[in-house]
Amino acid sequence: MNTSHQRWLLEQLPQWEREGLLTPDAARALRERNALDDSQPGAAQIVMGALGALLIGSGLIAVIGYNWDDFSRPVRLLFAFLPLLLTQLFSFRVLKRGAASSAWVRETAALLQALATGACIALVSQIYNLGGEWPDFLFWWFMLSLPLVWVLRSHAVAIFYLIAIAVWSVSQVDRGSPWFDSPLLYPLLLLGLLPCWPGWKNQAPLSLSMRWVMTISAIFGFCSAAVFASQSGIGFFSDHAQSFLWLWTLTAAAFALFPLNQNGIEEPLRRKPQVELGALWLLGYGVAITFHDVSDDIIRGALHALQLPWCWGLLTVLAVFVLLAVVRKRWAVLSIASVALLPLIACPFVQNTDKNYGTLLSWLATLHLAAIGITLIVLEFAGKKGAPRLGATLLSVLIIARMADSHFSLLAKGVAFIGVGVAFLTFNILMSRQLKLKHSAAV
Amino acid sequence: MKTLPFLIFGIAVLAQWAAPLSQIWTHEKVLTQGTLIKLKCTAPDPYDPLRGRYLAVRPNQNEAAVSAGVELQQGAQVYAVLVTGADGFATVSSLSPTPPASGDYLRVRSGYVYDHKARIEWPFDRFYVNEKLAPEADKWFAENIRSTQGITAEVRVLNGRAVLEDLSLDGKSFREILKARVK
Repeated sequence: MNTSHQRWLLEQLPQWEREGLLTPDAARALRERNALDDSQPGAAQIVMGALGALLIGSGLIAVIGYNWDDFSRPVRLLFAFLPLLLTQLFSFRVLKRGAASSAWVRETAALLQALATGACIALVSQIYNLGGEWPDFLFWWFMLSLPLVWVLRSHAVAIFYLIAIAVWSVSQVDRGSPWFDSPLLYPLLLLGLLPCWPGWKNQAPLSLSMRWVMTISAIFGFCSAAVFASQSGIGFFSDHAQSFLWLWTLTAAAFALFPLNQNGIEEPLRRKPQVELGALWLLGYGVAITFHDVSDDIIRGALHALQLPWCWGLLTVLAVFVLLAVVRKRWAVLSIASVALLPLIACPFVQNTDKNYGTLLSWLATLHLAAIGITLIVLEFAGKKGAPRLGATLLSVLIIARMADSHFSLLAKGVAFIGVGVAFLTFNILMSRQLKLKHSAAV
Repeated sequence: MKTLPFLIFGIAVLAQWAAPLSQIWTHEKVLTQGTLIKLKCTAPDPYDPLRGRYLAVRPNQNEAAVSAGVELQQGAQVYAVLVTGADGFATVSSLSPTPPASGDYLRVRSGYVYDHKARIEWPFDRFYVNEKLAPEADKWFAENIRSTQGITAEVRVLNGRAVLEDLSLDGKSFREILKARVK
């Protein structure tokens, strides 16, 4: 249960007690169980603190941008270091007060210091007319800001760091850079946030906003790394460039299968963006490779990708995640993630005849997705955790896809589409009724 | 009181000071001890959201010969050997992967390599100007773009490092010309 739900529940308890819905003992038990953790900042506090710090920091950068060339160099350098020193002193005071400092003060101090650091570097490069690329500046900025996330437990700086490492990785995709100046560094940069991870020295669960920012940052970071890695050993106009599409899919599978503890598994899907977005990509990719042309490209790309160390690294990580998911019995996610491995099964059996790899992968994908759709429905009816509506949607999309690239007449296609539509709606109504029945039985 | 957070905070503070201070140290050394060279260049006026208005400085020379028997990779760090002509302007005579034993040189990146020549990616590309002066710089540039004198970049060079000290036209500082126009 997230903080806003807990707050709502605590607000309702007195009235429920008055109305006799709850005994005082039950209300006390609920209060103890859902006690709010005041050390965690609320969203409004973060927003207000971050906004204030951002305004001051932006103002500082704008004042610096004016370029006070009437002043001597040492005076201008003083302008750069004075805000940095003041913000550092402020942060030190906050750190010294420890738990006595409220969450929003901590956030503001950390963000102000991070912004002053960026402003200081920017002003020094302005004073000395330094050239250089903005990603280099960004790199040093986020690296120098990272310790503030650890010591001041700042969500705002953590979000800045996550966005910055993703932007930096995307900007470094161009070929020719050494690995330590390329998106391949992203996994290490992400590890920088490890002390914020739940379970690390009693860290509380990540907020939903942090989860989304982290997932989106990871998508951009790992996808940039895949594009960078897929460029090695190929010519500029090589048709193996599509190999990164399969690497993206392996990454999506790793996201969906990212190890979770039992509490994490039991959380609703909307609180697990890595599973939501990973599964969405896998299903979209799965449907796409049922088309012959796309499957041909994917096979070509996969054959190249299998020569890359990045690909083998991903496969190793995926193997570990699969094992952990099997232990946790995450069957539904496992079945969706298995779509990523289809090219691996198809590769040994395909032969390149006139730049064409046959239809094996597209048929394999069609059958596999159909099996997943049916499994997701059957799991629900067997009393296990399934996703019947997703299963039905998958089957419908598959039928539509196969009809779309078939040679049937428009009339036949139209009738088939209507049939699928009616079946889909009927199934939806059936599921709604069953859900209602379950709900009333539970009440 | 826990020590670790304070230790990490102390290291972070030191690093936040060390990064800009090391830049200052390096560039001050070049400015005080470096040789002054002059390069003919053009300078249109763009904008950097973080560091304000600047003139994008582009030396006229954008390629140079690669030393005989040397193969350069695009994007590699190379050394540009500088030679000052009779007119007082410096040019790059050759590019090589190692610094020359004597004379002035600059550390640059090589661009596209072809026919024993390579494009030069100069280590300086901007000259920051006051926001108030920037619009005047725009106008001035438009008026003088066809001038035969051209804009001169005054660069200090030391051990391969370069710091753009000033821009000038006909021996007059660029900032002074603009300030006079604004008055």
